[in-house]
Amino acid sequence: MTSQTLQKVDHSLLKAHQLMIISLNVLAFILDLPILAALVALVMGIGSLLKTPGFGFVYKNLLKPRGWMKPDVLDDNPEPHRFSQILGFAFMTAGSAALYLGASVLGWGLVWLVVALAALNAFGGFCVGCAVYYWLSRFNLPGFSKQPPAGTFPGMKPGVRASR
Amino acid sequence: MNVEILLRFGLAVSIIVLGALVYWLINQRLLIRARNNVFSLFNTLPNKPVLVYFTTPDCAPCKTVQRPAIDRVSDLLGEKLEVVEINAYEQPDLAKTWGVMSVPTTFVIDQRGEARYVNNGVARAEKLLEQIQTL
Repeated sequence: MTSQTLQKVDHSLLKAHQLMIISLNVLAFILDLPILAALVALVMGIGSLLKTPGFGFVYKNLLKPRGWMKPDVLDDNPEPHRFSQILGFAFMTAGSAALYLGASVLGWGLVWLVVALAALNAFGGFCVGCAVYYWLSRFNLPGFSKQPPAGTFPGMKPGVRASR
Repeated sequence: MNVEILLRFGLAVSIIVLGALVYWLINQRLLIRARNNVFSLFNTLPNKPVLVYFTTPDCAPCKTVQRPAIDRVSDLLGEKLEVVEINAYEQPDLAKTWGVMSVPTTFVIDQRGEARYVNNGVARAEKLLEQIQTL
Protein backbone atom coordinates (compact mmCIF):
# COMPACT_ATOMS: atom_id res chain seq x y z
CA MET A 1 0.00 0.00 0.00
CA THR A 2 1.56 3.31 -1.08
CA SER A 3 1.35 6.52 0.93
CA GLN A 4 -1.17 8.95 -0.47
CA THR A 5 -2.87 12.20 0.41
CA LEU A 6 -6.35 11.68 1.75
CA GLN A 7 -9.04 14.33 1.77
CA LYS A 8 -11.75 15.22 4.23
CA VAL A 9 -14.94 13.44 3.19
CA ASP A 10 -18.20 14.07 5.04
CA HIS A 11 -19.81 10.63 5.30
CA SER A 12 -23.05 12.15 6.59
CA LEU A 13 -23.39 13.89 3.23
CA LEU A 14 -22.93 10.54 1.49
CA LYS A 15 -25.42 8.90 3.84
CA ALA A 16 -28.07 11.55 3.20
CA HIS A 17 -27.53 11.07 -0.54
CA GLN A 18 -28.01 7.31 -0.19
CA LEU A 19 -31.11 7.71 1.99
CA MET A 20 -32.67 9.98 -0.65
CA ILE A 21 -31.93 7.40 -3.36
CA ILE A 22 -33.51 4.64 -1.24
CA SER A 23 -36.63 6.68 -0.33
CA LEU A 24 -37.34 8.01 -3.82
CA ASN A 25 -36.77 4.68 -5.53
CA VAL A 26 -39.03 2.80 -3.11
CA LEU A 27 -41.66 5.52 -3.57
CA ALA A 28 -41.27 5.26 -7.36
CA PHE A 29 -41.85 1.51 -7.13
CA ILE A 30 -44.89 1.76 -4.84
CA LEU A 31 -46.56 4.46 -6.95
CA ASP A 32 -45.38 2.83 -10.19
CA LEU A 33 -43.73 6.07 -11.29
CA PRO A 34 -40.85 5.36 -13.69
CA ILE A 35 -40.50 9.13 -14.06
CA LEU A 36 -39.41 9.35 -10.42
CA ALA A 37 -36.78 6.64 -10.98
CA ALA A 38 -35.64 8.56 -14.08
CA LEU A 39 -35.44 11.73 -11.97
CA VAL A 40 -33.20 9.91 -9.46
CA ALA A 41 -31.01 8.82 -12.39
CA LEU A 42 -30.90 12.41 -13.66
CA VAL A 43 -29.88 13.84 -10.27
CA MET A 44 -27.17 11.17 -9.94
CA GLY A 45 -25.98 12.02 -13.45
CA ILE A 46 -25.78 15.73 -12.66
CA GLY A 47 -23.98 14.87 -9.41
CA SER A 48 -21.50 12.74 -11.35
CA LEU A 49 -20.77 15.64 -13.71
CA LEU A 50 -20.36 18.09 -10.83
CA LYS A 51 -18.30 15.56 -8.84
CA THR A 52 -20.56 15.80 -5.82
CA PRO A 53 -23.29 13.54 -4.38
CA GLY A 54 -26.40 14.42 -6.43
CA PHE A 55 -28.73 14.69 -3.43
CA GLY A 56 -26.10 16.44 -1.33
CA PHE A 57 -28.13 19.64 -1.56
CA VAL A 58 -30.76 18.12 0.77
CA TYR A 59 -28.09 17.59 3.42
CA LYS A 60 -26.46 20.99 2.89
CA ASN A 61 -29.67 23.01 2.82
CA LEU A 62 -31.98 21.08 5.13
CA LEU A 63 -30.59 18.23 7.21
CA LYS A 64 -27.33 19.82 8.39
CA PRO A 65 -28.57 23.38 9.08
CA ARG A 66 -31.48 22.01 11.14
CA GLY A 67 -29.19 19.69 13.07
CA TRP A 68 -31.03 16.56 11.91
CA MET A 69 -27.74 15.11 10.72
CA LYS A 70 -24.32 15.90 12.11
CA PRO A 71 -21.14 15.95 9.98
CA ASP A 72 -19.05 12.79 10.09
CA VAL A 73 -15.84 13.96 8.44
CA LEU A 74 -13.25 11.26 7.80
CA ASP A 75 -9.93 11.06 5.96
CA ASP A 76 -10.89 9.26 2.78
CA ASN A 77 -10.64 9.27 -1.02
CA PRO A 78 -13.57 11.03 -2.69
CA GLU A 79 -12.83 9.40 -6.09
CA PRO A 80 -14.23 5.93 -5.27
CA HIS A 81 -17.47 7.53 -4.02
CA ARG A 82 -17.75 9.49 -7.28
CA PHE A 83 -17.16 6.29 -9.23
CA SER A 84 -19.80 4.59 -7.12
CA GLN A 85 -22.30 7.31 -8.03
CA ILE A 86 -21.46 6.89 -11.74
CA LEU A 87 -22.13 3.15 -11.39
CA GLY A 88 -25.42 3.89 -9.63
CA PHE A 89 -26.29 6.37 -12.37
CA ALA A 90 -25.60 3.71 -15.02
CA PHE A 91 -27.83 1.17 -13.26
CA MET A 92 -30.58 3.74 -12.70
CA THR A 93 -30.43 4.87 -16.33
CA ALA A 94 -30.60 1.27 -17.55
CA GLY A 95 -33.45 0.59 -15.11
CA SER A 96 -35.40 3.67 -16.20
CA ALA A 97 -34.85 2.84 -19.87
CA ALA A 98 -36.07 -0.71 -19.28
CA LEU A 99 -39.19 0.62 -17.55
CA TYR A 100 -39.98 2.95 -20.46
CA LEU A 101 -39.41 0.08 -22.90
CA GLY A 102 -41.93 -2.04 -21.03
CA ALA A 103 -39.44 -4.42 -19.37
CA SER A 104 -40.89 -3.83 -15.89
CA VAL A 105 -39.27 -6.77 -14.12
CA LEU A 106 -35.79 -5.88 -15.40
CA GLY A 107 -36.37 -2.17 -14.79
CA TRP A 108 -37.61 -2.48 -11.22
CA GLY A 109 -35.01 -5.17 -10.58
CA LEU A 110 -32.25 -2.72 -11.45
CA VAL A 111 -33.89 -0.01 -9.34
CA TRP A 112 -34.08 -2.38 -6.35
CA LEU A 113 -30.46 -3.36 -6.92
CA VAL A 114 -29.49 0.30 -6.54
CA VAL A 115 -31.69 0.50 -3.40
CA ALA A 116 -29.97 -2.58 -1.93
CA LEU A 117 -26.48 -1.24 -2.65
CA ALA A 118 -27.36 2.20 -1.25
CA ALA A 119 -28.80 0.53 1.88
CA LEU A 120 -25.67 -1.58 2.31
CA ASN A 121 -23.62 1.62 2.17
CA ALA A 122 -25.92 3.71 4.37
CA PHE A 123 -26.56 1.10 7.08
CA GLY A 124 -23.65 -1.32 6.73
CA GLY A 125 -20.85 1.13 5.88
CA PHE A 126 -19.81 -0.90 2.84
CA CYS A 127 -19.60 0.86 -0.53
CA VAL A 128 -19.68 -1.75 -3.30
CA GLY A 129 -18.86 0.82 -6.02
CA CYS A 130 -15.79 1.90 -4.00
CA ALA A 131 -14.72 -1.74 -3.65
CA VAL A 132 -15.00 -2.11 -7.45
CA TYR A 133 -12.92 1.09 -7.86
CA TYR A 134 -10.16 -0.25 -5.58
CA TRP A 135 -10.29 -3.60 -7.32
CA LEU A 136 -9.82 -1.89 -10.71
CA SER A 137 -6.98 0.22 -9.29
CA ARG A 138 -5.01 -3.01 -8.79
CA PHE A 139 -4.79 -3.31 -12.58
CA ASN A 140 -3.29 0.21 -12.90
CA LEU A 141 -6.14 1.37 -15.10
CA PRO A 142 -6.01 5.09 -15.97
CA GLY A 143 -8.19 7.10 -13.59
CA PHE A 144 -8.09 4.42 -10.88
CA SER A 145 -5.03 5.48 -8.95
CA LYS A 146 -6.22 5.62 -5.34
CA GLN A 147 -5.63 2.97 -2.70
CA PRO A 148 -7.87 2.33 0.32
CA PRO A 149 -6.91 4.41 3.40
CA ALA A 150 -4.35 2.55 5.53
CA GLY A 151 -5.91 -0.21 7.59
CA THR A 152 -9.24 0.02 5.81
CA PHE A 153 -10.83 -2.90 4.00
CA PRO A 154 -11.50 -1.81 0.37
CA GLY A 155 -15.00 -0.35 0.24
CA MET A 156 -15.51 -0.17 4.00
CA LYS A 157 -15.95 3.13 5.77
CA PRO A 158 -12.54 4.42 7.01
CA GLY A 159 -11.78 3.70 10.62
CA VAL A 160 -12.50 0.06 9.93
CA ARG A 161 -9.73 -2.44 10.18
CA ALA A 162 -9.02 -4.55 7.14
CA SER A 163 -9.60 -8.22 7.82
CA ARG A 164 -6.73 -10.34 6.67
CA MET B 1 -55.31 1.72 -9.13
CA ASN B 2 -55.48 1.73 -5.31
CA VAL B 3 -55.30 -2.06 -5.22
CA GLU B 4 -52.24 -1.97 -7.43
CA ILE B 5 -50.56 0.60 -5.18
CA LEU B 6 -51.39 -1.55 -2.15
CA LEU B 7 -49.94 -4.61 -3.86
CA ARG B 8 -46.78 -2.75 -4.77
CA PHE B 9 -46.58 -1.38 -1.23
CA GLY B 10 -46.89 -4.92 0.10
CA LEU B 11 -44.18 -6.11 -2.25
CA ALA B 12 -41.89 -3.23 -1.23
CA VAL B 13 -42.49 -4.03 2.45
CA SER B 14 -41.76 -7.72 1.76
CA ILE B 15 -38.46 -6.87 0.08
CA ILE B 16 -37.49 -4.57 2.96
CA VAL B 17 -38.48 -7.24 5.52
CA LEU B 18 -36.40 -9.76 3.60
CA GLY B 19 -33.42 -7.37 3.75
CA ALA B 20 -33.99 -6.92 7.49
CA LEU B 21 -34.15 -10.71 7.89
CA VAL B 22 -30.80 -11.11 6.14
CA TYR B 23 -29.37 -8.42 8.46
CA TRP B 24 -30.82 -10.27 11.48
CA LEU B 25 -29.29 -13.56 10.32
CA ILE B 26 -25.89 -11.89 9.94
CA ASN B 27 -26.23 -10.53 13.49
CA GLN B 28 -27.18 -14.00 14.78
CA ARG B 29 -24.06 -15.38 13.14
CA LEU B 30 -22.00 -12.69 14.89
CA LEU B 31 -23.58 -13.59 18.23
CA ILE B 32 -22.78 -17.28 17.72
CA ARG B 33 -19.17 -16.38 16.93
CA ALA B 34 -19.05 -14.17 20.02
CA ARG B 35 -20.49 -16.99 22.19
CA ASN B 36 -17.80 -19.33 20.93
CA ASN B 37 -15.07 -16.81 21.66
CA VAL B 38 -15.99 -15.32 25.03
CA PHE B 39 -13.13 -17.22 26.65
CA SER B 40 -10.65 -15.46 24.36
CA LEU B 41 -11.31 -12.46 26.65
CA PHE B 42 -11.60 -14.11 30.07
CA ASN B 43 -10.13 -17.07 31.84
CA THR B 44 -13.04 -17.01 34.27
CA LEU B 45 -16.31 -15.21 33.76
CA PRO B 46 -16.73 -12.04 35.87
CA ASN B 47 -20.29 -13.09 36.93
CA LYS B 48 -21.81 -9.85 35.74
CA PRO B 49 -22.85 -8.42 32.38
CA VAL B 50 -19.96 -7.51 30.09
CA LEU B 51 -19.93 -4.89 27.36
CA VAL B 52 -17.32 -5.70 24.72
CA TYR B 53 -16.49 -2.59 22.72
CA PHE B 54 -14.49 -2.81 19.49
CA THR B 55 -12.97 0.51 18.42
CA THR B 56 -9.97 2.09 16.67
CA PRO B 57 -8.07 5.29 17.55
CA ASP B 58 -9.11 7.07 14.34
CA CYS B 59 -12.81 6.22 14.58
CA ALA B 60 -14.56 9.59 14.90
CA PRO B 61 -18.03 8.40 16.00
CA CYS B 62 -16.33 6.17 18.60
CA LYS B 63 -14.83 9.25 20.25
CA THR B 64 -17.74 11.61 19.86
CA VAL B 65 -20.71 9.32 20.53
CA GLN B 66 -19.88 5.73 21.48
CA ARG B 67 -17.26 6.39 24.17
CA PRO B 68 -19.40 9.01 26.00
CA ALA B 69 -22.40 6.64 25.80
CA ILE B 70 -20.39 3.79 27.33
CA ASP B 71 -19.02 6.12 30.01
CA ARG B 72 -22.58 7.11 30.88
CA VAL B 73 -23.70 3.49 31.12
CA SER B 74 -20.64 2.67 33.24
CA ASP B 75 -21.36 5.57 35.59
CA LEU B 76 -24.97 4.46 35.99
CA LEU B 77 -24.26 0.77 36.57
CA GLY B 78 -20.90 1.06 38.33
CA GLU B 79 -19.59 -2.30 39.54
CA LYS B 80 -22.58 -4.13 38.06
CA LEU B 81 -21.05 -3.94 34.58
CA GLU B 82 -17.66 -4.80 33.14
CA VAL B 83 -16.53 -2.96 30.02
CA VAL B 84 -13.86 -4.51 27.81
CA GLU B 85 -12.47 -2.15 25.17
CA ILE B 86 -10.61 -3.66 22.25
CA ASN B 87 -8.51 -1.66 19.83
CA ALA B 88 -9.07 -3.52 16.55
CA TYR B 89 -5.75 -2.20 15.19
CA GLU B 90 -3.79 -3.69 18.08
CA GLN B 91 -5.77 -6.92 18.18
CA PRO B 92 -6.84 -7.61 14.58
CA ASP B 93 -7.00 -11.35 15.14
CA LEU B 94 -9.48 -10.90 17.98
CA ALA B 95 -11.63 -8.60 15.81
CA LYS B 96 -11.49 -11.16 13.02
CA THR B 97 -12.38 -14.05 15.34
CA TRP B 98 -15.39 -12.14 16.62
CA GLY B 99 -16.40 -11.29 13.03
CA VAL B 100 -16.10 -7.54 13.55
CA MET B 101 -15.96 -5.72 10.21
CA SER B 102 -16.71 -2.16 11.32
CA VAL B 103 -16.26 0.06 14.34
CA PRO B 104 -17.81 0.86 16.68
CA THR B 105 -19.25 -2.58 17.34
CA THR B 106 -20.52 -3.50 20.80
CA PHE B 107 -21.50 -6.87 22.20
CA VAL B 108 -23.62 -7.28 25.33
CA ILE B 109 -22.76 -10.51 27.17
CA ASP B 110 -24.79 -11.84 30.09
CA GLN B 111 -23.57 -13.26 33.42
CA ARG B 112 -23.37 -16.78 31.97
CA GLY B 113 -21.07 -15.64 29.16
CA GLU B 114 -23.77 -15.76 26.48
CA ALA B 115 -23.52 -13.01 23.87
CA ARG B 116 -27.07 -11.63 23.75
CA TYR B 117 -26.89 -8.47 21.66
CA VAL B 118 -24.63 -7.03 18.99
CA ASN B 119 -24.74 -3.43 17.83
CA ASN B 120 -23.10 -2.66 14.50
CA GLY B 121 -22.35 1.04 14.49
CA VAL B 122 -23.09 3.56 17.21
CA ALA B 123 -25.35 2.39 20.06
CA ARG B 124 -26.77 5.13 22.27
CA ALA B 125 -26.58 4.88 26.07
CA GLU B 126 -30.36 4.33 26.32
CA LYS B 127 -30.19 1.37 23.95
CA LEU B 128 -27.25 -0.20 25.79
CA LEU B 129 -29.00 0.25 29.14
CA GLU B 130 -32.17 -1.31 27.77
CA GLN B 131 -30.22 -4.30 26.45
CA ILE B 132 -28.31 -4.77 29.72
CA GLN B 133 -31.51 -4.51 31.78
CA THR B 134 -33.13 -7.36 29.84
CA LEU B 135 -30.34 -9.80 30.80
